[in-house]
Amino acid sequence: MSASGTQTDTTPGFGTAAFESFLETRDEPDWITAQRRAAFACYQASQHATLDSEEWKRVDLRRFHPEQYELCDQPADTAALNLESLLTHRTEFAGHVTHLDGHCVGQSVSDKLRQQGVLFGNLSCLLREHADVLRPHLLTRAVQPDKDRFASWHSAFWTSGTVLYVPREVEIREPLHSLIALARDGATDLGHTLVILEDGAQATLLEETLSAGPQTAGLHVGAVELLVGRGAHLQYVQLQNWNQQVFHFAHQAGCVAQNGQLQWTVAGLGSKLAHVHQDVTLEGPGARAEVNGVTFATERQLISFWTQQTHQAPETESDLLYKEVLRNRARVAWRGMIRVDPDAQRISGFQRNDALLLDSDCRADAIPGLEIEADDVRCSHAATAGQVDDEQLFYCMSRGMHRREAMHMIVEGFFHDVYDRIPVEVVRDTLRTAVERKLGILN
Amino acid sequence: MSEFERVARASELQSGERKTVVVDDTPVLLLRTGDDFHAIEDICTHDGQPLADGPLDENLITCPRHGAKFDVQTGRAVCMPATEAVTTFEVQVVGDDVLVRPRS
Repeated sequence: MSASGTQTDTTPGFGTAAFESFLETRDEPDWITAQRRAAFACYQASQHATLDSEEWKRVDLRRFHPEQYELCDQPADTAALNLESLLTHRTEFAGHVTHLDGHCVGQSVSDKLRQQGVLFGNLSCLLREHADVLRPHLLTRAVQPDKDRFASWHSAFWTSGTVLYVPREVEIREPLHSLIALARDGATDLGHTLVILEDGAQATLLEETLSAGPQTAGLHVGAVELLVGRGAHLQYVQLQNWNQQVFHFAHQAGCVAQNGQLQWTVAGLGSKLAHVHQDVTLEGPGARAEVNGVTFATERQLISFWTQQTHQAPETESDLLYKEVLRNRARVAWRGMIRVDPDAQRISGFQRNDALLLDSDCRADAIPGLEIEADDVRCSHAATAGQVDDEQLFYCMSRGMHRREAMHMIVEGFFHDVYDRIPVEVVRDTLRTAVERKLGILN
Repeated sequence: MSEFERVARASELQSGERKTVVVDDTPVLLLRTGDDFHAIEDICTHDGQPLADGPLDENLITCPRHGAKFDVQTGRAVCMPATEAVTTFEVQVVGDDVLVRPRS
């Protein structure tokens, strides 16, 4: 079905001619061009290959027509747009990067961070200026360009992106902000986020996606690479908040070295169809990852996550909690795997997925899995799905609440577990607001 | 109410043949049995995946994965493991054109 090739040579926006024209517009070092060409060869070879059915069989790609999308030569005029996002003005940020229609349209970083050697800004520019630092990490360790059609598509055509590089032992207390926006109808964003924390560094990056209008169709084929050094601590949040006309495909991977810590939150709020491939790899002893997911799908949205927690080293810990609320005819699919390598003894791995169905026509699929090759581990998983309990509703209404208020309280309570784990207060507040908007309580 | 969409020519399908189309942004399976045309949502209500390759016997289509059966006229689930009906669409044949739209 959907796993078979829907994308053929009839995608002129991303064919050979388009690729060569795209390369001409990029003033890039030879090594990047070579990397792109290798990825494009994979992309072409993958056109008729079948996608991994375990990952893709619940993602119905028949509604996706890649030929309707293309790269934009120019971004829309920012002066005529409202790019106010969920996080804008909510807190003080130490730096901002804004991408629109696949182009970086604004960046800033505080002088203090610059003096500390922190790199934050547009990937294209920083790769030219700091190739020695960034080249070893771009599409080499975390996201693999030949993983599948979407990974190679991204790796060949990545447009703009956000880089955060934090040198050894540098601690950044204020969060940094990255905004990815789409405004033109049919525009494609192939943004790449690359975060590198050297040993002992600390940082928080809040990233969000936004559509400038409620009806503009768009496509995001993105990638996120989070590389956490020894003893480093990264908090990364991605709020996916496109309108319901955008297709969102993303490869996201985090690698955590010895005693490093990664707190990773993903929110799936917008898009018509979203599929996120999320990999967390614990590479060194004592590494720890906490993964949080908040999804609220309505109307006919299909939001899918494929997650993998890989323990490569002993005494590592991973803990994943995904919470989903569905309404109308929405669908959410989650396929989660904990993989433990033979040498990864005395590890702890946990994953849990809870779905709350507000209507009888919505559907949630949760498929947890374990692949354990070590013999001294603690691994477990859990999944629940259910509808709102009528007795809970009746109880709230008998206390004078309107049905809508009662539903809001129940949904808020359902998400409470995962909110409690999100370390950044502004993100918790932002998610609460987004949920209220989805419930129709706020405009 | 949604407008009818022309999805096929009547002459391109013989009895027992089918065509997958998209109507109102929904994958739809158009089937011909004798002189009648039927349109159902191309998703099994049991496992959420397509019915497109399932065998058709009279008016019953069988899900190719787990064997659930649906009546293509009414959408009714007539065999486990499916218990919920599949959505049906309104079909009109005008001349050689087959038109489909969601039921109101």
